[in-house]
This record gives sequence, structure tokens and C-alpha cells, in this order.
Amino acid sequence: MNYYEIIFYVFAVLTVVSAGVVVFSRNIIYSAFALLFTFTGVAGIYVLLNADFIAITQLLIYVGGIMILLIFGVMLTTNVTNVEITTQTLKALPATIVVAIVSALLVSTMVSTKWAVKDPISVESTTINQIGELLLTKYLLPFEIASIVLLIAMMGAAFLARKN
Amino acid sequence: MLTQQILDGLSKFYPETILSVTILVIVFVELFFKKKTRVSGWIAMAGLAAAMLFTFLQVNIPAQTIFFQMVAVDPFSYFFKVLLILSGFLIVLFTFLSDEIRSSEFKTQEYYALLIALTLGGFLMASSVNLLMMYLALELSSLSSYVLAGYFKKSNRSSEAALKYVIYGGVSSGLMLFGISLIYGICGSLDMFAISAYLSANPVNLITLLIAIFLMLAGFGYKISAVPFHFWTPDVYEGSPMPVTALLSVSSKAAGFAMLIRFFLVAFQNAGHPTITTEGLHQYITLPGLHWPEVIAVIAVATMTLGNVVAIWQDNLKRLLAYSSIAQAGYMLLAFVVVSPQGISAMLTYLAVYLFMNLGAFFAAILISNKYKTENIEEMKGIGYRSPLLCVSMAVFMLSLSGIPMTAGFIGKFYIFSALINNGYIWLAIIGLMNSVVSLYYYIKILKNMFLIRPQGDTGAVSFGAGYSVLLLALAIPTIVLGIFFGPLTKFAEYSVQIFGLK
Amino acid sequence: MVNYFFLITLLPLIGFLVNGIFGYKIKNEKVAGIIGSGTILGSFIIALIAFFQLLGMPAEQRTITVTLFQWITAGSFNISAAYLIDPLSVVMSLIITGVGFLIHVYSIGYMHGDRGFARFFAFLNLFIFAMLNLVLGDNFLLMFLGWEGVGLCSYLLIGFWYEKKFTGDAANKAFWVNRIGDLGFMIAMFYILVNFGSLNFGAVFGAAGSSIAPGSTLITVITILLFVGATGKSAQIPLFIWLPDAMAGPTPVSALIHAATMVTAGVYMVARCSILFALAPFTMDLILAIGALTAFFAATIAVTQNDIKKILAYSTVSQLGFMFMALGAGAFSTGIFHVTTHAFFKALMFLGAGSVIHSMHEEQDVMNMGGLKNKMKVTFLTFLMGGIAISGIPPFSGFFSKDEILTNVYLSGNYLFFGLGVLTAFMTAFYIFRLIGLTFYGNPRYDEHKTHPHESPKVMTIPLIILAVLSVIGGFIGLPHIVGPNLIDHFLEPVFASARTILPVHHIEAGTEIMLIVISVFVAVVGIFLAYRAYAKAYKPEVSRNPVYNFVQNKYKVDEFYNAVIVTPLRMLSNLLYKFFDLIVIDGIVNGSGKFFTSLSGDWRKMQTGVIQDYAVISVAGIIAIIIFVLLVVK
Repeated sequence: MNYYEIIFYVFAVLTVVSAGVVVFSRNIIYSAFALLFTFTGVAGIYVLLNADFIAITQLLIYVGGIMILLIFGVMLTTNVTNVEITTQTLKALPATIVVAIVSALLVSTMVSTKWAVKDPISVESTTINQIGELLLTKYLLPFEIASIVLLIAMMGAAFLARKN
Repeated sequence: MLTQQILDGLSKFYPETILSVTILVIVFVELFFKKKTRVSGWIAMAGLAAAMLFTFLQVNIPAQTIFFQMVAVDPFSYFFKVLLILSGFLIVLFTFLSDEIRSSEFKTQEYYALLIALTLGGFLMASSVNLLMMYLALELSSLSSYVLAGYFKKSNRSSEAALKYVIYGGVSSGLMLFGISLIYGICGSLDMFAISAYLSANPVNLITLLIAIFLMLAGFGYKISAVPFHFWTPDVYEGSPMPVTALLSVSSKAAGFAMLIRFFLVAFQNAGHPTITTEGLHQYITLPGLHWPEVIAVIAVATMTLGNVVAIWQDNLKRLLAYSSIAQAGYMLLAFVVVSPQGISAMLTYLAVYLFMNLGAFFAAILISNKYKTENIEEMKGIGYRSPLLCVSMAVFMLSLSGIPMTAGFIGKFYIFSALINNGYIWLAIIGLMNSVVSLYYYIKILKNMFLIRPQGDTGAVSFGAGYSVLLLALAIPTIVLGIFFGPLTKFAEYSVQIFGLK
Repeated sequence: MVNYFFLITLLPLIGFLVNGIFGYKIKNEKVAGIIGSGTILGSFIIALIAFFQLLGMPAEQRTITVTLFQWITAGSFNISAAYLIDPLSVVMSLIITGVGFLIHVYSIGYMHGDRGFARFFAFLNLFIFAMLNLVLGDNFLLMFLGWEGVGLCSYLLIGFWYEKKFTGDAANKAFWVNRIGDLGFMIAMFYILVNFGSLNFGAVFGAAGSSIAPGSTLITVITILLFVGATGKSAQIPLFIWLPDAMAGPTPVSALIHAATMVTAGVYMVARCSILFALAPFTMDLILAIGALTAFFAATIAVTQNDIKKILAYSTVSQLGFMFMALGAGAFSTGIFHVTTHAFFKALMFLGAGSVIHSMHEEQDVMNMGGLKNKMKVTFLTFLMGGIAISGIPPFSGFFSKDEILTNVYLSGNYLFFGLGVLTAFMTAFYIFRLIGLTFYGNPRYDEHKTHPHESPKVMTIPLIILAVLSVIGGFIGLPHIVGPNLIDHFLEPVFASARTILPVHHIEAGTEIMLIVISVFVAVVGIFLAYRAYAKAYKPEVSRNPVYNFVQNKYKVDEFYNAVIVTPLRMLSNLLYKFFDLIVIDGIVNGSGKFFTSLSGDWRKMQTGVIQDYAVISVAGIIAIIIFVLLVVK
């Protein structure tokens, strides 16, 4: 086990455990904070995968932006501590069975499949240049369409949130 | 060189560009109106008309992909673009004529912009040849429909519908995304043609591939409301404003089918090039060991049987139409089992026919709810004699949906069943037939209430304005005419399935 | 040559469109009525022209195909919308338009003052249009379209008086039972398409005649399925229950659709596919058996009914049974012959019954009639003609066709069914004269102060007279061999030529023929006589019978004898059959399947809980089920 793998498992455990807290915690503030660690863990894994740009984006947008927004939202909602914002667990047994089977299937395929792994390439500096170029050439259309998707999402959110 | 390619792509992307611009124009123009206005509706119509015009100009462009193999411009997408614009156009008119929307206190700026966005999403779904593009298109169409479903945000029913739709849609598209990632993991590409090439050249773990396919089916199945991904349908159809329900049942379903067909045929069937079998049938070659047609058969049978059987119990017209539209998706999926150009063209024919009859049924339902303030079938007793034109048109749509001869629905079913029989799936055809007999029960129940039971209470005639009648006839007449004279439609459908994107 | 035969079907369609679209604008009943009947008259004339044109051609070439347009092209599969004009379709068209025209004219009087006058004519014209497509179509698909079309019109017309609750139920029942039959027809059509690669009559029959071995499973399955379709439309066991209920519609509808034309569609279809049926001996035997049983059972039920239209309805079922007996015995042209004569006399009797009902202010129970013969002379006389014709007294039309059927059944060697046929012929005479006796003879049993029966207007009686004349002389187109030439048989021969080469040929000796004629006349006379004795003289259904009085008077001794020996057993049998067969078995199956789906629907509906978490779980479970299905079942 080299350093690389040790660091990977640290981040992996961090991610999975904090995600578990997000799902199972009965207090919404705990969930929100746990999510912070999940995002950070994922960012760490991105770094290990040489995806520096995505790692930074993950930190900036999710950890820095969305998380803070979320926590503010929770804090500003009145009576957070008293009101039952805790989620009720519905149909736990069937869901557990289904999830167990799905997990078993996925793990077995993960182990048994020969994945199309790319040969490691030497990355001299950063991937930002390549991403920037690709976004404006090969992935131009998805890039533009994503902006429309975001516009629609924003409009929709504004419409639903507005009083009238 | 790159610029040249992008410019070339743009020159074949006018319809989509126009729709995007229309969205922005609507949002901008509405800023100047304080009150509710129809202006944005007219703009939407103008945008759709312009998009239609530019779509027509594409008719003779040779099939090709643009924007670095992201979307295809080919007869197949052309067919769906025409269908989607037609349906968008009719939905705008429905909205104008719906009392439900008119009496709502909300402004309509987002409404029309979202409607166009949904159509744009449908365009891209029908033409994407890259899984990333496909997913974005799906999300564009889904996001707009979530908001549209919750348009009456003060009504609990509408809000509940929207929330359920969001959650269910989120789960489905999440599953689909997972499936896409598995496929990327196997093939190392998101491009459908590259996937096809990889699969035909390299041995792959078929079980993993199958799991990936079925996870993706969650996304497709949710768009077309196939069992077991149909659960959102009745709740959302019932809660949404009626024009939105009509839109969901036609546009978003058609786009879902387009995406489903293209993905399966291009990725798994020799890049969508049919081969001729020893019996002289045109067929697509399935990868050995990949049993997806059998799975589609099971889903199709489950879908139409569940839709038809559960519809029997429904008293609410919208809910009934929801189950009916589930069942209709089942019939269309049946044709997909054949995996031959004949089957696909039967599907397209059915979709085109379905556009008229289903939108017609919804429009009739809108008018009934406008004038009689009811969605309950039991309260429609004897209204056939109070509004003859409306109810006779409704009868046409119902009979057509159930597939009675002399209506367009019969032709749709006829082509589907003959495709099945031609390819040796007699049992599927018989199950389909039996289903259509069961479906008669609830379609006829509506007619029975309208025509065969004496009206209770008020019996005065209830008439509509000329605009309503014209629109009603504009839907009813094609439903009958296409049942007798359908040559051009089937030719168009056959032409549309010839090629899938790559020269 | 410009072919104008397409006008045969086009004219009724025009009539339908005019009356249907502008109907509510046409305030004048005469205009709507003239449009409605005039278009049918036009069709009739063109059908006549077609008939004479065929006569002018050599017998073997009497076929004209009128192609309207190329209809469906799907790969190698082609269907054009085309009409096939040959002796069989011309005979049917003449019946449909001829009798149809008379019934249209009659309806002008009958429906006078009805709110839906124009609508009624629109539906009638639509019906004629669909029926003509059924008989003229040159492929199975067009025939099927017509087949469905007449079903739809029948539905609309049975439920025409929607104000009455039971008409809606009757219409629904008719619709449902017919759908079961149609399902058989459709599956048969698919089998034909798969195995012959075409739905065109010429192609299918040609291929069947040359390549199918007689008695093969394939042809047996196809013909049985086709016959299932025929039993639905033509009200045979086990699907006959809808027809008596269908009498809820206006009487002209009963006459046109449920006696003269639509119900004979099944007979036509079997005759049209004669070559297919000839290749399937098992199906032929089945048809003979079903026909004979239907004829018999329906006749027994008719004996005990009191509703004038119900009696005629069961009588129709019984006569249809006769037609199927003829088909089953391989005498296709005889079946069509009986269709023709039956169209005359049954339409006549229905219209006569309509005239009676009309003048009795919608009274339909024969027990509340009586003594009408002096008040409604024309109706009585014409009805009597019809009654004699159906009973089979020479030289009235019914005699010739029925006798020919019995002869053919006798020749085919099925003596049991022959016996049933003779018995049915006897009962036919009995119940029809019971009806006549109760209605027209004896003393009035209605309140004479309230009801004043009167003769119907001319517009109603003239069609009656024309039909009566046809009922009397109509039989001369098919004389027995010993008397003269059988014109209709000769005319239809080319159509059934290929089927006849397969079926065994029977020769009949003059002696046998005379014997059979004597038998059939004898049973008819006995039936009439018994019925006359029992019912024609002052029949008092509810007289309190003092046994001593009766004994002394000796008046009812015969009645009681009849009652004990004939009526009571028959009534019991009929009741039993009705209760067991109609109510339990058939209704059980029909309602049972309905209940099954309703309860299934109720169960499946519960999956839709409204809880989104459930949906997600079920969907994912669905994916797992699919994966397991593929891994375990498909591989």
C-alpha cells in the first residue's frame, strides 16, 4: 500500500461516512454540515485523479457556495430546532432489500467487468487549458445547451418562489 | 477549419436557434406588461412557426451530424421536429382557450417560455447522437415540465403533482446517468456511433452492458411512462393544468420515444443500418446475447395491460386519459420489439396519429371542464345532447384511441400489428388485440354516459364559440381522414426511418 | 369504360353526410326522409344495372373489380380499396338496397314527429353504407371495416331512444357480444395474412384452393375463428343473446338491421369464404350442428314469448340457424336463397309488428292485443302473407328456401339434424300463428276506451304491400328440381364452383324430393292448425277456469292437451334453456370476464398509493425484476 492508496482510502471513508450521516441524521443541521465533508472528500478524490480543475470547482462551488447557502437557509428558517423537520422513514424494509440487491449487482459487475481504462498520460501542468479548448470546440453545443438548462431552472425556481 | 465546422453546424441549427431566441424574447417582452397578456403566446406561436419554416427547409439536407457529432440532422429527427412543433402549436391554442388558465391569477411569461423550452428539449432529444447531449436535452425538457406541472402553485393538487414529478424525475434521471456512466466505463466513449463500433469490435461483459441498458431504460421509461416507471403519470396528469397534461402526454412522450429509438438502434444495432435477412426482411442486427427486444416486449405487454386494466376503474377523466396514455405507450413499444424498419415506421405512424387523437381527447376534456365544470365521468350524463359537436368529436377520439376501424387509431394499430405478425410475433399481436378490446370498456363508458343516459337537471344546449369548434374539427377531421387516407403519412414515416444520422 | 358502380356505396354516404351535418337545420321531415330514402333508391337502381350487366356476361366471367385507390402499401403487402361485383355481392346488394329502401320509406311514417328524425335517417344511411362495404369489399380488410361499421350503426340505432334506460344497456350488450365475435374475425384475418401473405379475396382463395390440403389444422383454425365472428354478428349459439335485447331500438331498425341485413352478414361471410370452409370438413360439421341447435332452441323460446318483437327476434335467430344449416351442409347458394326470402318476409313481419305497435300506442305484449284484423286490414293481410311464407306453405317464398335447406341437410346424411330441422319447421308454423292468432283474432284484450287501433298511413302500408308481394312470389327464383329451374342457384354457381369441386356431390331422386316436400308441408300445416285452434278463437288468458265448467263446455280440453303435451314441456325446456344457457352460462361468461377485469383493475389500482417513496422503490424493484428476467429466463 503506497501513499497514494492511503490518501485515497482516507478520502473515500470520509466521503462515505459523512454521506451516511447526511442520510441518517435526524437533525437537519447535522445533515447539512456532514454534506460539507462529503463534498470535500469528493474534491480530494478528484485531485487524486489528476482532475485539478474539477477539484477546484467542486471546492469553490459546492463547498464554498452551495453549502454555505444551504446552511444559511437552514439557519434562517425559524424554529429549526423545535419543528419536526426530521424525515420520516417510509417502507424501510422493502427499500433496504431493493438497495441491497442493487448494490450486490453493481459490486459484482464492478468486479467482473473489464473496464475501458485509458492509458495514464503525463500531465505537464494543468487540465484547464484543455477543458477550456474542448468547451468551445467539441463540446460547444452541450456547453451552450447547459446554459439554457440553467436559465430554465432559474426561471422555474423564481416562478415557484415568487409570491405572485 | 474548426470555425468552418461550427459555422456549418450553425447553418443547420436554425430551428433550435430560433426556439432559444424565442424563449429569451418572451422573457424580455413580458417585462413590459404588468397584467396578464396574450402577447407572449403570440410570440411563442410566431417562434414555432418560424422554427417550422426552417425545419421544412431542412427536408432535403443529406443526413449528417453537426457540432462534432453531437446532434444529427436527418429524416428521423425531421419527423419528430414536425410532430413537436405541431403539438406545441396546438398546446398554445389550448392555453388560449382554457378557462382554467385564463382564470388563474398568474402571469404567463414563464408559461410560454417553458413551453418553448420543452419543445426545444424535445428537438434535441430527437436528434442527439451523444449521450451527454441526450442527457442535457432530457433535463431541459424535464425541468420545464416540472415547473409547468406546478403552474397553479396555489393549488395543492398542482403543487403536489410538481413535487412528485421532480422527485420521481430526479430518481429516474439519476438512474439513467448511472447507466450512462457504466456505458462510458465499458466503451470509453459517449458517442453513440463510437459505442456501436466498440461493441461490434470488442467482446464485452454482457451482464454489465445489460445492467447499464436497464438503468438507462429508467430514464426513457419515465419519459414515455412505461411500466414500471409510470407511477408519476396519473398523479401528475391529474394535478397539472389540462393543457400541460396534454403537452406531457404528447410532446414529451414523443421525444422520449425518439430518444429511445435512436439510442437503441444506433448504439446496439450496427449503427442503425438495416440488413436484409434470409427471408427478405429488413432488420437490424442485434448483438449476440443482447436480449433487449425481449425485455421491451415484456415491458410493452405490462405497460398496456396495466394501463388498460387500471383505467377501467377511473372516474376522473384526466386520470382515465393518463392511464389510457400509458396503455398507448405500450402499443407503441410493441412495435419496437420487431427491431426492423417496418416496426419503427409503424411506431412513427402511430405517434403521428396519436398526436391528433390524444390532443383531441384532451381538448374535448378542456372544453367539458370549461362549460360543465367537471372532470368526473359520472357527471357527464347526457351532455351528448347538450353539446353535440363536442361530444361527437369526443366519440371520434375515443373510438380512435381504442382502434375502431375507419379511424386513424385503427391504422396505427393495424400497422403495428402487421409489423408484429410479419416478423412472427403473433402472440404479441393477439395480446395487443385483447388489450384493445379491454380498452373499449372504458372508452365506451364515457360515450355511454354522454349519449345513452338521459341528462339530469339542466338540459339546455351548451354551445361554444366558433374558435373552439374550428379547433375541435381541426383535430377530429384528421383523426377520421387519416383512418381512410393515410398513404402520405405512412410514406413519410417509412422515409424517416431510412437512415440514422451517419451517412 | 367509366365505372360508376362506386356510386352504390357513395350515395348512402352522401345521404348520411347531408342528414348528419345539416340534419338539425332540416326542419321539414319530408326533406330529410326523401334524402334518406332517395339515395338508397339510387343505389338500388345502380345495383340493378350491375345485376343486368352481369347477366349479359358469360357465366364464368361474371366478375367486375372496381378499384377505387391504392390503399395500404407496407412492404410486400398491398391492399387496394376495391369493390368486387360478382353474383353473390350483387344479390346481397340488391337485398340491402331494395329492402333497405322500403324500410326507409316506411320509417318516414313510423318516425313521424320524433325529435331525432334526421338523425335517424343519417344513421340508417350510414348503416347501408357500411353494409354495402361489407358485401362489396374485395378483401378481408374492407369487409372487416364494413363489419365494424354495421356494428357501430347497430349500436347507435339500438340506443337511439336514449331516454329509455334499457336501450342503453341493450346497446351495450350488443356491442360487447359483437366484440367477442370480432376478435375471432380479426385473429382469423391475421392468420390469413401470415399464411397467404395477402388479404385479397382472389389471392387468398386461389392460394387456398391450390395449396391447402383439405382438413389441415391451419384451415380448420382459420375457419373456426371466422365462424366465431359469424356467430357474433349472426346471433348463433353461444353469442345469440344480444339480438332479442336489441329489439329495444325503433322497429324499422329491427326490421332492417336485426332481420333483413346485418345479421345475415355472418352467412354472407361464410358463403364468400366457401372455398376455405369447404376445405375444413370439421368446421362444416360444426356449423351444421350449431345452426341446427340454434334453430331449434330459438324456436322453442319463441313459442313462449309474449312480446311481439321478442317473438320475431327469436324467430330471426331460428331462421338464421336454418341458413347456417344450409351452409354447413355445403349448400351455399341455398343459404343465400334463404337470406333473400327471409329478408322479404321477416322485414315484412317486423314492419307489420311496427304498424301494430304504432297503432296500439307502443303496446308490445300480444296478451294485450287481439281482434285487430278488422281494424287494420292491410297490416293483417300482409302479416298473414308473411306468416304463411315463414311457415313454409307452398307456393309462398319461405317454403322453397326452407324445403331446399331441409333437402340438403337430408342429403348430407345428418338425419338427426334433419329431424331437428323438421321439428323446428313445425314449431315455426306454430309460434308464428300463435302470434297472429293472439294479435289479430279473438276479442280485443285491451281497453277499448283508451286505445283505438287504426290502420297506419299509406307511406307505411305501401312498403308492407310490396314486401308481401315479394314474400309470396319471391320463392320462384329457386324452384325445386322437379318443378322447374333453380334460377338463383344457377346464377350464384360460378361463385361457389371451386368449393363445389371439393365437397361431395349429392344427387336427388324425384321420389325423395316429393317425400321431403310432403313432410315439410305437413308439419307446417299441422303447426298452423294447432296454433289456430289454440289461439285464434277467443283466447282468454286470465279466465278463472272452473274445472267442471270447462269439462262440461269441453271448450278448453284441446287447449289443455296442447298445454300439457306441447306448450308446458316446451315452456319448461325453454325456461330451462333460457335460465341455464342465457342467464347463467352466457351472461356468466360475459359478466364474469367484465367482473374479472374490474376486480383486477381494483387490485392494480392500489399500487398507485400516492406516496412517492413507494413509486421509487417499485420502479427500482422493477429494474431488478427485468435484470433477473433476462439473466434467468431469456438466456
